[in-house]
Amino acid sequence: MSSPDMIGKVYGIILKRMVATGQAPHYTEIAAEAGVPVEEGRKALHDLIDAKIPAMWLYPETDYICSFAPFNNLPTQYRISVDGMQKWFGQCGFESLAVSWLYPGKTVRIDATCLDCGAPIRVEMKDGVVLKEDPKGLAGYVSVPFSQWFQRFPYA
Amino acid sequence: MNLFRSEEHIRNWSRFDPAAEQGIVPFANVVKLFSMDMFKKRLEPDYVARVGQYAKEFLAAVAELGKTRPFWRS
Repeated sequence: MSSPDMIGKVYGIILKRMVATGQAPHYTEIAAEAGVPVEEGRKALHDLIDAKIPAMWLYPETDYICSFAPFNNLPTQYRISVDGMQKWFGQCGFESLAVSWLYPGKTVRIDATCLDCGAPIRVEMKDGVVLKEDPKGLAGYVSVPFSQWFQRFPYA
Repeated sequence: MNLFRSEEHIRNWSRFDPAAEQGIVPFANVVKLFSMDMFKKRLEPDYVARVGQYAKEFLAAVAELGKTRPFWRS
């Protein structure tokens, strides 16, 4: 089992990489950045995922990061732009609204499509404040009861 | 957890589950919930050490919703 310090370090390595590039690192890169052997990096990644920090998961039966809140490493309908540059995807509609906290002072735009009609949804935020909501009257929906979120994050 | 153009669009959605009607959340409430420290402080160096505390705060906020909406009980 990796130490709490190592788990915290790996968390920071992954999140910072995703903030900068929109892509999650491979465990070999995590190991290199953490200064540990490759296998130790792989184990630390799994230990982090098993630590039940909301919300992150691997592709089933692999060592590949699929989702790392508030981002997704697999494209979703939540396209995130920072200061006009689109290279990130939100984990879900709710987590997309938390992305702006990772880019202080910058304008974060969420472009999505409504799952009912396919028409566009656009939200602009800066430092957690909503600058623009288009159309007005947006609403969120989750079909999984809160008590089941931790068991079913990918489906929530 | 998805965003829709309106509550009407949620109810029209082919995969809307009437049993999960309480999962409809006004946009402003989603913004408020996802502005708590659990979401705000992810870049802090001690985030992982503190996430348990942040999660408790988030649970308390969700529990406020759950007082009237069983769907949100933990």
